[in-house]
Amino acid sequence: SVTEIRSGFTAIKANIQARDPIRTLSILSHPHSLHKVKLLDRCCITHQLFNFYVDKVFKHCKTEDSFVNRKISSIANSFLIVKRKLGQCQEQNKCLCGQESAEKYKQILANYEGLNVTSAAIKSLGELDILLDWVEKSG
Amino acid sequence: SGELYCSLPNPRNVHFESINMKNVLHWSAPEGTGDGVLYKVKYSVYGVGKWIRKPECRNINRTWCDLSNETFDYEEQYYASVKAFLNGMCSDWMETTRFNPLTDTKIDPPMVNVSSTEKSISILLTAPEKWKRSPEEESVSLLQVYPGLQYNISVLKKKTKKRWWFSVSNNTLVVPWLEPGTAYCVSAQIQVTTPLLHSGFSKEYCVATLKDK
Amino acid sequence: EDALVAAPQNISILSTNMKHFLTWSPVTVQGETVKYSVEFQGEYEREYANESWIPICECSLITATVCNITDDISATVAYNLRVRADVGARRSEWGTLKGFFNRITTSLTPPLMKVIADGYHLLVELEDMGPAFQFCVLYWKKGQESRMQQKVVEEVSSVVHLDTMEAGPDYCVKAQTYVEAINRSSSFSQTQCVRAEGGTSMWL
Repeated sequence: SVTEIRSGFTAIKANIQARDPIRTLSILSHPHSLHKVKLLDRCCITHQLFNFYVDKVFKHCKTEDSFVNRKISSIANSFLIVKRKLGQCQEQNKCLCGQESAEKYKQILANYEGLNVTSAAIKSLGELDILLDWVEKSG
Repeated sequence: SGELYCSLPNPRNVHFESINMKNVLHWSAPEGTGDGVLYKVKYSVYGVGKWIRKPECRNINRTWCDLSNETFDYEEQYYASVKAFLNGMCSDWMETTRFNPLTDTKIDPPMVNVSSTEKSISILLTAPEKWKRSPEEESVSLLQVYPGLQYNISVLKKKTKKRWWFSVSNNTLVVPWLEPGTAYCVSAQIQVTTPLLHSGFSKEYCVATLKDK
Repeated sequence: EDALVAAPQNISILSTNMKHFLTWSPVTVQGETVKYSVEFQGEYEREYANESWIPICECSLITATVCNITDDISATVAYNLRVRADVGARRSEWGTLKGFFNRITTSLTPPLMKVIADGYHLLVELEDMGPAFQFCVLYWKKGQESRMQQKVVEEVSSVVHLDTMEAGPDYCVKAQTYVEAINRSSSFSQTQCVRAEGGTSMWL
């Protein structure tokens, strides 16, 4: 699924990022980069972020472009699969959430809520490669 | 007044050209401006609130600027921008799309080293190195940047024009049981699965197995 | 008052090797051209996006009664699909696929395979079935089925090298496809055996 998410995103990356004029703000990577997250917290933050995208982001990303909308649907439905698997990890206590991950997620939500909902959603969607690079690097 | 009048046509096609994470900003001169146009360049880290000027690319007349040093951290993403000047006039700042060194770089083919015995050839592959700031700096192989990297290797038996394919994750391959006194040509490509990247094929390196004693 | 246009019937899916097609029976209206439009809805749309439907523009106002939905069925979730008919300004109700479609149910056929012996080298040529497919190739010395060896082939460019062979015994090969996205494999192809020293492919 992550491979399919990556190829879906690559197909619309330029289009989506062009809709985000704000260079000076990031939802995921500033002020604290995902890459600074400790190993122990990675699973929890990954799970929180997949929930974040499913619950908050995709539904506000409808565009006038049919091709883009279909790719967003493809990504969103693939996210459901990964979200479900991570949910199972959490149920089996293999994806514990500590103070650090709560702080990190709070920061991301603050970044998100600092913008109007459509701009925040499009910016978050445009940052999918930041999430995927980090998820794939974390292995 | 001394104020610049920004009606000069804009630089065009402002984009990064990146090979092994040597990240060079390129652009085309504004339409119809001929010689004498000068440029200045700035860049920003995506998500960070300021543009940073590149002094070495201030008032330059070439249409490229090496920003490898400034975009060295491939866990960040970047924008760059160019402005043109001519006869007291200037253009707007023209920006790149968002540049992600990890996914937007091109990878060179691997170096291929082939040796032979009477009935076998041994192939040693070396992945290219990530661009580094100075020769003294420690080299980082792209293998470290892309852990899922593997090699696709083609072995062509020149006489019969038959080509065989191998996919290996480590960087050596021995092909035994070959015909003595025969030329074999080897070419290799790098393949990364996440993110999806692949290099071109290296040129062919030919070697002959030794003759039967 | 204009007669109503009947909704398309017998809506079904043909799915083989991760290629998915929606088909339906033609709606007939005397002397008129009937055009069809297709929409899909994934689990995400049902549960998080107010049960919204997404049009497939390649299958908007088409006269054919088949639509290639492969690119849109791109997650292993349950999809709803629907079709409606247009005749001039008149439009039918939606005809909806009975039950969901999940690509995990696609039928996987064994790969076309050709085994080649080139001197002492055992090689295999496999049909390119698209990026979603890997191949699991098993090979063994005839009579030594218990010592089967396996190679996973991802890049199917042309002739793939499996191993070297000793002169004398037959070497047998069979292959199956594997689709990681749905975590399923096809059945195995027929076994083919060859022998070193330029033996040509022999069916068992």
